[in-house]
Amino acid sequence: MINDKNSQGIVDIIAEYARKQSLFIMAYGTGCGAIEIPPTLTSRYDAERLGIRGAATPRQADVLLITGYLATKSLKRVIRVYEQMQAPKYVIGFGSCTINGGMYWDSYNTINLLDKYIPVDVYINGCMPRPEAVIAGFEKLKELIQSGNALGWKKYEDNLEEYRENQKKVIVNWQMPDYNW
Amino acid sequence: MENKELVLENTLVQALQEGFTRLEATVKRKARVEAKIDKDILPSLLLFAKEKLGYNHLSHIGCVDWIEDGLFEIVYILWHPTEKINLLIKASTERENAIMPNIDYIWRQANTYEREMREMFGIEFPGLVGRKDFILEDWQDIPPMRRDFDTEKYVNEHFFNRPGREDAKDVREQVAKRSGEDIPEFAKKYSRK
Ligand code: SF4
Repeated sequence: MINDKNSQGIVDIIAEYARKQSLFIMAYGTGCGAIEIPPTLTSRYDAERLGIRGAATPRQADVLLITGYLATKSLKRVIRVYEQMQAPKYVIGFGSCTINGGMYWDSYNTINLLDKYIPVDVYINGCMPRPEAVIAGFEKLKELIQSGNALGWKKYEDNLEEYRENQKKVIVNWQMPDYNW
Repeated sequence: MENKELVLENTLVQALQEGFTRLEATVKRKARVEAKIDKDILPSLLLFAKEKLGYNHLSHIGCVDWIEDGLFEIVYILWHPTEKINLLIKASTERENAIMPNIDYIWRQANTYEREMREMFGIEFPGLVGRKDFILEDWQDIPPMRRDFDTEKYVNEHFFNRPGREDAKDVREQVAKRSGEDIPEFAKKYSRK
Protein backbone atom coordinates (compact mmCIF):
# COMPACT_ATOMS: atom_id res chain seq x y z
CA MET A 1 0.00 0.00 0.00
CA ILE A 2 2.68 2.46 0.98
CA ASN A 3 4.94 1.23 -1.76
CA ASP A 4 2.67 2.04 -4.69
CA LYS A 5 2.37 5.60 -3.49
CA ASN A 6 6.11 5.70 -3.67
CA SER A 7 6.54 9.44 -3.26
CA GLN A 8 4.37 9.57 -0.16
CA GLY A 9 5.65 8.46 3.18
CA ILE A 10 3.36 7.45 6.00
CA VAL A 11 3.58 10.92 7.51
CA ASP A 12 2.58 12.47 4.21
CA ILE A 13 -0.43 10.23 3.95
CA ILE A 14 -1.58 11.26 7.38
CA ALA A 15 -0.86 14.91 6.73
CA GLU A 16 -2.70 14.88 3.39
CA TYR A 17 -5.61 13.09 4.99
CA ALA A 18 -5.85 15.84 7.58
CA ARG A 19 -5.37 18.58 5.00
CA LYS A 20 -8.20 17.50 2.75
CA GLN A 21 -10.68 17.56 5.64
CA SER A 22 -10.46 21.29 6.02
CA LEU A 23 -10.26 23.50 2.98
CA PHE A 24 -10.49 27.22 3.48
CA ILE A 25 -11.51 29.22 0.42
CA MET A 26 -10.04 32.62 -0.15
CA ALA A 27 -12.99 35.00 -0.35
CA TYR A 28 -12.17 36.64 -3.66
CA GLY A 29 -14.55 36.52 -6.60
CA THR A 30 -13.53 37.65 -10.05
CA GLY A 31 -16.32 36.84 -12.51
CA CYS A 32 -20.05 36.23 -12.52
CA GLY A 33 -19.53 32.69 -11.20
CA ALA A 34 -18.86 34.10 -7.75
CA ILE A 35 -22.62 34.30 -7.27
CA GLU A 36 -22.74 30.50 -6.89
CA ILE A 37 -20.41 30.58 -3.90
CA PRO A 38 -22.85 31.96 -1.29
CA PRO A 39 -25.44 29.17 -1.86
CA THR A 40 -22.65 26.60 -1.84
CA LEU A 41 -21.38 27.76 1.51
CA THR A 42 -24.66 28.55 3.23
CA SER A 43 -27.55 26.49 4.49
CA ARG A 44 -28.90 25.22 1.16
CA TYR A 45 -25.86 23.21 0.09
CA ASP A 46 -23.88 23.71 3.28
CA ALA A 47 -20.38 22.92 2.06
CA GLU A 48 -19.11 23.28 5.60
CA ARG A 49 -20.33 19.78 6.41
CA LEU A 50 -17.74 18.64 3.85
CA GLY A 51 -15.00 20.69 5.42
CA ILE A 52 -15.13 23.59 2.97
CA ARG A 53 -15.50 27.11 4.23
CA GLY A 54 -14.45 30.68 3.62
CA ALA A 55 -11.38 32.47 4.84
CA ALA A 56 -10.88 36.19 5.03
CA THR A 57 -7.24 36.65 4.08
CA PRO A 58 -4.78 34.93 1.76
CA ARG A 59 -2.54 33.86 4.63
CA GLN A 60 -5.35 31.85 6.17
CA ALA A 61 -6.62 30.25 2.99
CA ASP A 62 -5.83 26.94 1.28
CA VAL A 63 -7.85 27.24 -1.88
CA LEU A 64 -8.02 30.08 -4.36
CA LEU A 65 -11.18 29.94 -6.43
CA ILE A 66 -11.02 31.84 -9.68
CA THR A 67 -14.71 32.27 -10.24
CA GLY A 68 -14.93 32.96 -13.94
CA TYR A 69 -13.49 35.50 -16.31
CA LEU A 70 -10.37 37.20 -15.13
CA ALA A 71 -9.79 40.77 -16.26
CA THR A 72 -6.19 41.70 -16.86
CA LYS A 73 -6.63 44.19 -14.07
CA SER A 74 -7.73 41.49 -11.61
CA LEU A 75 -4.95 39.18 -12.74
CA LYS A 76 -2.49 41.46 -11.01
CA ARG A 77 -4.42 41.13 -7.75
CA VAL A 78 -4.86 37.40 -8.18
CA ILE A 79 -1.13 36.90 -8.55
CA ARG A 80 -0.52 38.98 -5.43
CA VAL A 81 -3.08 36.96 -3.52
CA TYR A 82 -1.83 33.62 -4.78
CA GLU A 83 1.75 34.34 -3.88
CA GLN A 84 0.80 35.43 -0.40
CA MET A 85 -0.99 32.19 0.35
CA GLN A 86 0.99 29.64 2.27
CA ALA A 87 1.87 26.34 0.69
CA PRO A 88 0.33 23.86 0.27
CA LYS A 89 -2.19 25.87 -1.71
CA TYR A 90 -4.61 24.88 -4.41
CA VAL A 91 -6.30 26.69 -7.26
CA ILE A 92 -9.67 25.82 -8.71
CA GLY A 93 -10.63 27.28 -12.07
CA PHE A 94 -14.34 27.83 -12.07
CA GLY A 95 -16.43 28.08 -15.23
CA SER A 96 -15.58 27.94 -18.92
CA CYS A 97 -14.06 31.42 -18.87
CA THR A 98 -11.07 30.11 -16.97
CA ILE A 99 -10.73 27.08 -19.24
CA ASN A 100 -10.75 28.62 -22.71
CA GLY A 101 -12.09 32.12 -22.35
CA GLY A 102 -15.73 31.08 -22.47
CA MET A 103 -17.99 33.65 -24.01
CA TYR A 104 -15.38 36.32 -23.34
CA TRP A 105 -12.77 34.60 -25.47
CA ASP A 106 -12.40 37.60 -27.77
CA SER A 107 -12.55 40.30 -25.13
CA TYR A 108 -9.64 42.71 -25.06
CA ASN A 109 -9.28 42.66 -21.33
CA THR A 110 -9.92 39.16 -20.09
CA ILE A 111 -7.33 36.41 -20.18
CA ASN A 112 -8.25 33.12 -21.82
CA LEU A 113 -6.18 30.32 -20.32
CA LEU A 114 -5.86 30.59 -16.59
CA ASP A 115 -3.24 27.85 -16.27
CA LYS A 116 -0.73 29.90 -18.25
CA TYR A 117 -0.62 32.42 -15.44
CA ILE A 118 -1.12 30.42 -12.25
CA PRO A 119 -1.15 26.65 -11.82
CA VAL A 120 -4.63 25.16 -11.69
CA ASP A 121 -5.34 21.92 -9.84
CA VAL A 122 -8.96 21.39 -10.75
CA TYR A 123 -11.20 22.91 -13.39
CA ILE A 124 -14.95 22.93 -12.94
CA ASN A 125 -16.74 23.43 -16.23
CA GLY A 126 -20.07 25.05 -16.80
CA CYS A 127 -21.26 28.56 -17.38
CA MET A 128 -21.78 28.91 -14.51
CA PRO A 129 -21.30 25.63 -12.59
CA ARG A 130 -24.05 24.92 -10.11
CA PRO A 131 -23.26 24.31 -6.44
CA GLU A 132 -23.44 20.54 -6.99
CA ALA A 133 -20.73 20.87 -9.59
CA VAL A 134 -18.69 23.04 -7.28
CA ILE A 135 -18.92 20.46 -4.54
CA ALA A 136 -17.99 17.73 -7.03
CA GLY A 137 -14.97 19.80 -7.98
CA PHE A 138 -13.94 20.02 -4.36
CA GLU A 139 -14.35 16.27 -3.96
CA LYS A 140 -12.01 15.85 -6.92
CA LEU A 141 -9.54 18.20 -5.30
CA LYS A 142 -9.71 16.17 -2.11
CA GLU A 143 -8.92 13.02 -4.07
CA LEU A 144 -5.93 14.72 -5.63
CA ILE A 145 -4.74 15.94 -2.27
CA GLN A 146 -5.05 12.52 -0.73
CA SER A 147 -3.10 10.90 -3.55
CA GLY A 148 -0.43 13.57 -3.37
CA ASN A 149 -1.15 14.93 -6.85
CA ALA A 150 -2.39 18.42 -6.08
CA LEU A 151 1.04 19.90 -6.58
CA GLY A 152 0.26 23.10 -8.47
CA TRP A 153 2.14 25.17 -5.93
CA LYS A 154 5.31 23.14 -6.47
CA LYS A 155 4.93 23.51 -10.19
CA TYR A 156 4.66 27.25 -9.71
CA GLU A 157 7.84 27.42 -7.68
CA ASP A 158 9.71 25.27 -10.16
CA ASN A 159 8.52 27.12 -13.24
CA LEU A 160 8.33 30.58 -11.77
CA GLU A 161 10.24 32.15 -14.65
CA GLU A 162 7.91 30.78 -17.27
CA TYR A 163 4.84 31.92 -15.34
CA ARG A 164 6.37 35.35 -14.80
CA GLU A 165 7.03 35.71 -18.49
CA ASN A 166 3.40 34.99 -19.31
CA GLN A 167 2.19 37.27 -16.54
CA LYS A 168 4.37 40.13 -17.67
CA LYS A 169 3.03 39.77 -21.17
CA VAL A 170 -0.34 40.87 -19.83
CA ILE A 171 0.71 43.14 -16.99
CA VAL A 172 2.80 45.65 -18.88
CA ASN A 173 3.52 47.92 -15.98
CA TRP A 174 4.96 45.45 -13.50
CA GLN A 175 5.31 47.22 -10.18
CA MET A 176 5.26 44.23 -7.87
CA PRO A 177 8.20 42.57 -6.18
CA ASP A 178 9.51 39.76 -8.32
CA TYR A 179 9.05 37.21 -5.63
CA ASN A 180 6.47 37.88 -3.03
CA TRP A 181 5.98 35.08 -0.67
CA MET B 1 -53.38 62.90 -18.45
CA GLU B 2 -54.39 62.13 -22.03
CA ASN B 3 -51.58 62.85 -24.39
CA LYS B 4 -52.79 61.24 -27.59
CA GLU B 5 -51.94 64.11 -29.89
CA LEU B 6 -48.37 64.38 -28.65
CA VAL B 7 -49.17 67.86 -27.38
CA LEU B 8 -46.39 67.99 -24.86
CA GLU B 9 -43.86 66.70 -27.35
CA ASN B 10 -44.82 69.20 -29.99
CA THR B 11 -44.70 72.08 -27.51
CA LEU B 12 -41.22 70.98 -26.56
CA VAL B 13 -40.07 70.92 -30.17
CA GLN B 14 -41.49 74.40 -30.62
CA ALA B 15 -39.80 75.69 -27.48
CA LEU B 16 -36.47 74.26 -28.61
CA GLN B 17 -36.75 75.74 -32.07
CA GLU B 18 -37.69 79.13 -30.71
CA GLY B 19 -34.71 79.15 -28.38
CA PHE B 20 -32.14 77.97 -30.91
CA THR B 21 -31.97 78.63 -34.60
CA ARG B 22 -29.43 76.04 -35.73
CA LEU B 23 -31.25 73.09 -34.29
CA GLU B 24 -33.23 70.21 -35.77
CA ALA B 25 -35.88 68.83 -33.45
CA THR B 26 -38.27 66.00 -34.20
CA VAL B 27 -40.79 63.97 -32.29
CA LYS B 28 -39.66 60.36 -32.53
CA ARG B 29 -42.63 58.84 -30.82
CA LYS B 30 -44.64 59.27 -27.66
CA ALA B 31 -42.41 60.51 -24.85
CA ARG B 32 -39.35 60.73 -27.07
CA VAL B 33 -38.04 63.87 -28.69
CA GLU B 34 -34.77 64.17 -30.51
CA ALA B 35 -32.72 67.30 -31.14
CA LYS B 36 -29.54 67.66 -33.15
CA ILE B 37 -27.25 70.56 -32.53
CA ASP B 38 -23.78 71.87 -33.16
CA LYS B 39 -21.34 70.87 -30.47
CA ASP B 40 -20.37 74.51 -29.76
CA ILE B 41 -23.86 75.45 -28.63
CA LEU B 42 -24.43 72.16 -26.87
CA PRO B 43 -23.75 73.41 -23.31
CA SER B 44 -26.16 76.29 -23.67
CA LEU B 45 -28.84 73.96 -25.01
CA LEU B 46 -28.33 71.58 -22.11
CA LEU B 47 -28.48 74.48 -19.65
CA PHE B 48 -31.62 75.78 -21.36
CA ALA B 49 -33.24 72.35 -21.16
CA LYS B 50 -32.30 71.97 -17.53
CA GLU B 51 -33.12 75.43 -16.19
CA LYS B 52 -35.93 76.60 -18.45
CA LEU B 53 -37.68 73.46 -19.64
CA GLY B 54 -37.31 71.37 -16.50
CA TYR B 55 -35.30 68.48 -17.91
CA ASN B 56 -33.26 68.30 -14.77
CA HIS B 57 -32.28 64.66 -14.89
CA LEU B 58 -29.42 63.42 -17.05
CA SER B 59 -30.14 59.72 -17.57
CA HIS B 60 -27.30 58.75 -19.81
CA ILE B 61 -24.62 59.83 -22.21
CA GLY B 62 -23.84 57.53 -25.08
CA CYS B 63 -21.30 57.61 -27.85
CA VAL B 64 -21.78 56.18 -31.34
CA ASP B 65 -18.85 55.62 -33.65
CA TRP B 66 -19.91 56.49 -37.21
CA ILE B 67 -16.68 55.35 -38.75
CA GLU B 68 -18.07 55.62 -42.30
CA ASP B 69 -18.78 59.32 -41.85
CA GLY B 70 -15.69 59.95 -39.73
CA LEU B 71 -17.81 61.12 -36.80
CA PHE B 72 -18.45 60.40 -33.16
CA GLU B 73 -22.03 61.14 -32.19
CA ILE B 74 -22.62 61.85 -28.53
CA VAL B 75 -26.17 61.40 -27.28
CA TYR B 76 -27.30 63.08 -24.08
CA ILE B 77 -30.50 61.59 -22.75
CA LEU B 78 -32.48 63.91 -20.49
CA TRP B 79 -35.63 63.15 -18.56
CA HIS B 80 -38.46 65.36 -17.44
CA PRO B 81 -39.74 63.95 -14.13
CA THR B 82 -43.27 65.37 -14.32
CA GLU B 83 -43.97 65.51 -18.05
CA LYS B 84 -42.31 62.10 -18.43
CA ILE B 85 -40.55 62.83 -21.69
CA ASN B 86 -37.12 61.71 -22.83
CA LEU B 87 -35.18 64.36 -24.66
CA LEU B 88 -32.32 63.06 -26.74
CA ILE B 89 -29.76 65.69 -27.63
CA LYS B 90 -27.24 64.69 -30.24
CA ALA B 91 -24.02 66.40 -31.20
CA SER B 92 -21.18 65.08 -33.25
CA THR B 93 -17.47 65.64 -33.52
CA GLU B 94 -14.75 64.59 -35.94
CA ARG B 95 -13.18 61.22 -35.22
CA GLU B 96 -9.67 62.58 -35.65
CA ASN B 97 -8.67 64.70 -32.63
CA ALA B 98 -12.17 64.42 -31.23
CA ILE B 99 -13.01 67.19 -28.80
CA MET B 100 -16.30 67.75 -27.04
CA PRO B 101 -17.28 70.45 -24.56
CA ASN B 102 -17.10 69.36 -20.96
CA ILE B 103 -20.49 69.60 -19.26
CA ASP B 104 -19.79 68.24 -15.80
CA TYR B 105 -20.57 71.63 -14.24
CA ILE B 106 -24.17 71.18 -15.40
CA TRP B 107 -24.58 67.62 -14.11
CA ARG B 108 -21.81 66.28 -11.91
CA GLN B 109 -22.47 62.69 -12.93
CA ALA B 110 -21.45 63.59 -16.49
CA ASN B 111 -17.88 63.47 -15.23
CA THR B 112 -17.96 59.68 -15.02
CA TYR B 113 -19.38 59.30 -18.52
CA GLU B 114 -16.85 61.70 -19.94
CA ARG B 115 -13.92 59.96 -18.34
CA GLU B 116 -15.15 56.69 -19.74
CA MET B 117 -15.57 58.16 -23.22
CA ARG B 118 -12.11 59.67 -23.01
CA GLU B 119 -10.70 56.25 -22.23
CA MET B 120 -12.82 54.06 -24.48
CA PHE B 121 -13.13 56.31 -27.54
CA GLY B 122 -10.29 58.77 -27.10
CA ILE B 123 -12.51 61.86 -27.04
CA GLU B 124 -10.98 64.82 -25.23
CA PHE B 125 -13.06 66.97 -22.90
CA PRO B 126 -11.10 70.14 -22.14
CA GLY B 127 -11.16 70.92 -18.43
CA LEU B 128 -12.17 67.43 -17.37
CA VAL B 129 -10.82 66.53 -13.95
CA GLY B 130 -9.85 62.96 -13.12
CA ARG B 131 -7.06 60.49 -13.70
CA LYS B 132 -6.49 59.39 -17.27
CA ASP B 133 -6.64 55.70 -16.29
CA PHE B 134 -10.23 55.00 -15.43
CA ILE B 135 -11.29 51.41 -16.09
CA LEU B 136 -8.40 50.11 -18.13
CA GLU B 137 -4.97 49.75 -16.64
CA ASP B 138 -1.76 50.22 -18.61
CA TRP B 139 -3.61 50.43 -21.89
CA GLN B 140 -1.23 50.98 -24.81
CA ASP B 141 -3.32 50.35 -27.92
CA ILE B 142 -5.89 52.60 -29.57
CA PRO B 143 -9.02 53.10 -27.44
CA PRO B 144 -10.79 49.74 -27.48
CA MET B 145 -14.34 50.87 -28.19
CA ARG B 146 -13.42 52.51 -31.47
CA ARG B 147 -14.67 50.44 -34.34
CA ASP B 148 -11.27 50.33 -36.02
CA PHE B 149 -9.87 48.48 -33.01
CA ASP B 150 -9.58 44.81 -34.00
CA THR B 151 -10.45 42.82 -30.89
CA GLU B 152 -9.72 39.41 -32.33
CA LYS B 153 -6.28 40.44 -33.54
CA TYR B 154 -5.49 41.98 -30.18
CA VAL B 155 -6.59 38.83 -28.36
CA ASN B 156 -4.50 36.60 -30.61
CA GLU B 157 -1.47 38.76 -30.00
CA HIS B 158 -1.80 39.10 -26.25
CA PHE B 159 -3.53 36.03 -24.87
CA PHE B 160 -3.30 32.29 -25.35
CA ASN B 161 -5.81 30.09 -27.11
CA ARG B 162 -6.55 26.58 -26.07
CA PRO B 163 -6.04 24.16 -28.94
CA GLY B 164 -8.85 21.79 -29.79
CA ARG B 165 -12.41 22.62 -30.66
CA GLU B 166 -11.45 22.45 -34.38
CA ASP B 167 -14.41 20.18 -34.89
CA ALA B 168 -16.75 22.84 -33.55
CA LYS B 169 -19.40 23.62 -36.09
CA ASP B 170 -20.49 27.01 -37.29
CA VAL B 171 -23.96 27.60 -35.89
CA ARG B 172 -25.19 29.64 -38.84
CA GLU B 173 -24.13 27.01 -41.35
CA GLN B 174 -25.74 24.23 -39.37
CA VAL B 175 -29.02 26.08 -39.10
CA ALA B 176 -28.92 26.98 -42.78
CA LYS B 177 -28.28 23.38 -43.73
CA ARG B 178 -31.08 22.10 -41.56
CA SER B 179 -33.66 24.64 -42.72
CA GLY B 180 -32.50 24.66 -46.34
CA GLU B 181 -32.16 28.46 -46.40
CA ASP B 182 -29.23 30.54 -47.56
CA ILE B 183 -27.10 32.55 -45.18
CA PRO B 184 -27.84 36.24 -45.84
CA GLU B 185 -24.98 38.20 -47.37
CA PHE B 186 -24.43 40.50 -44.41
CA ALA B 187 -24.10 37.58 -42.00
CA LYS B 188 -21.46 35.72 -43.98
CA LYS B 189 -18.57 37.69 -42.60
CA TYR B 190 -19.37 36.45 -39.10
CA SER B 191 -19.04 32.79 -40.04
CA ARG B 192 -16.36 30.62 -38.55
CA LYS B 193 -13.24 30.67 -40.70
S1 SF4 C 1 -18.04 30.91 -17.33
FE1 SF4 C 1 -20.02 31.92 -17.66
S2 SF4 C 1 -20.78 32.34 -15.59
FE2 SF4 C 1 -18.58 31.97 -15.44
S3 SF4 C 1 -17.61 33.98 -15.56
FE3 SF4 C 1 -17.66 33.11 -17.63
S4 SF4 C 1 -19.53 33.94 -18.52
FE4 SF4 C 1 -19.70 34.19 -16.32
